[in-house]
Amino acid sequence: MNLTLCNRQLSPLQRRSMQLFGANLGLTAALSLFAHDFFKDAHPSAPWLYVAAMVPTLPVIGIVTTVARYLACETDEFIRMVVVQSLLWGLGITFVADTWLGGLYAYPGVFRMIPMLNIDLFCVASMVALRIQLWRNR
Amino acid sequence: MNNRLRVLRAERGWSQADLAAQLQVSRQSVNAIETGRFDPSLPLAFKLARLFSTSIEQIFTDEA
Repeated sequence: MNLTLCNRQLSPLQRRSMQLFGANLGLTAALSLFAHDFFKDAHPSAPWLYVAAMVPTLPVIGIVTTVARYLACETDEFIRMVVVQSLLWGLGITFVADTWLGGLYAYPGVFRMIPMLNIDLFCVASMVALRIQLWRNR
Repeated sequence: MNNRLRVLRAERGWSQADLAAQLQVSRQSVNAIETGRFDPSLPLAFKLARLFSTSIEQIFTDEA
């Protein structure tokens, strides 16, 4: 999570965290879409419904753990601050997008985003915010 | 908070990267401190003071 997020500039901790973050992000998107289709087509019974709904949350826990561990281990206080600010931007953008889409959902025929993809929106928004923050402080 | 970090660094002929390596922080951290966008914690301020063999007050001054 350095200036350009270029691999050669990352510390081992940052590189490992980015890899875990990316893997969990991809897994979350894939499992969310899978679970969405599963609920739509398979109509599972009650116990399976709860189990299936839990599956996409596992990589989310992975993302939270990865970020928490990264923040706990990062010794550079400025980079830590920038990462926390970016996460807050990501959270804010996700809330704004949710509120905006929530208003649009009142109208029929409007594209509906799968709520399970909120975590992916949050992660992507946080990453974009991080890049902008690091570019500003280059 | 204002600081004399850029001056002190220039006196020693160090680049931001040199100072960052000695402080074990990123170059962006040094840049952010120099430009006043980021105020370092006390441990980092003490580290800077030790590195430049001076006191924290000689590096950082209150804006007021």
